Amino acid sequence: MTTGSTPSKDTAVGRDPATPRKVALLANCLLNQNAKVCEGARYPGVASPVVEVLLRRGYQLQQLPCPELAFAGVRRWWAVYEQYDTPAYRAHCRRLAQGIAPLIEQYLRRGDELILIGLDGSPSTGVRFTSSQPNWGGRPNRPDDDWEIVQGRGVWIQELEAELARRGLPPVPATGWALDMGRFDEAGSREDLEHFLDDQGAAAPAGDDPTAR
Amino acid sequence: MSGDVRGWRVALVPDALINPARGPGAGAPDVLTLLQAQGYGLLQLPPPGNHSLLLAVIADQIAEYAHHGYAVVAVGLRDAAGDGLHWRRLAPLLRHRGVSLPPRHFIRADADVEPEARRLAAFLAGYDLPPEERQRWRT
Repeated sequence: MTTGSTPSKDTAVGRDPATPRKVALLANCLLNQNAKVCEGARYPGVASPVVEVLLRRGYQLQQLPCPELAFAGVRRWWAVYEQYDTPAYRAHCRRLAQGIAPLIEQYLRRGDELILIGLDGSPSTGVRFTSSQPNWGGRPNRPDDDWEIVQGRGVWIQELEAELARRGLPPVPATGWALDMGRFDEAGSREDLEHFLDDQGAAAPAGDDPTAR
Repeated sequence: MSGDVRGWRVALVPDALINPARGPGAGAPDVLTLLQAQGYGLLQLPPPGNHSLLLAVIADQIAEYAHHGYAVVAVGLRDAAGDGLHWRRLAPLLRHRGVSLPPRHFIRADADVEPEARRLAAFLAGYDLPPEERQRWRT
């Protein structure tokens, strides 16, 4: 086992270490919309529909760090995938991944069922879709909607998954809340998330050790 | 910020209060619901253990908020290890980044839930930056 953390203290904090849990790894801004780039916050704080759906289905929540906030700040410009696809930003994302991966590894080693909810359309946290515009750069005066949504992971999700793979951990089933897709459809996003969770319910129950596969 | 509805307030919250079902936070008020009602975003502190790198990453984020007009508070769980906030490690990290330590409110999981919830709600509602600071940043 590769870990930077003290072994599980679940017993010390009162949890039953033998009982597997369902744990949702959440993009930072789904619990804290203050992390969003300017004009991107659709909720005051918590993205309530996401949390409501997950809690109703018995998931515990594990927030991921926000890579953009800690790199470019709260007053950063909008950006697309190509602008964050740099060695320095990837190194930053790897540092964040190394910070959170020990916790994720603990969950997986104890047989918890993990899922990942990212932010579709995000250059960093996109899961199914990210944003693209190879021509962006220089003076930040691009017209509205001058970028494209393309299939693929954001930079942060790529680096997080790579770190988990380096530790010999299996892929975590993932989807994205479609907050950064240009036009946000909350009802459609909620339905989409419910379908994803239905699919997880039909898969292996919590308690299997996925690291043993 | 056109169409942006961020609340400009962030709470540091122990894992045990976000996921209270089987931990020491069982019996505590529903902190997630109270934070949502007050429009707070949250930063989740990890469960007990040595999470040095993750705490440094969290401290970086807190510093960014604290330096740019966001109100930051901490909600601890009394009698949990380190109050659930890893304060002995986190406080020096914040000082090192030039951040004044955020005000802390402590919940007792063994106290009556309703009064504890009211105390927390009052704390959350009553805290924000001074008007001149809000005016400076939140335009």
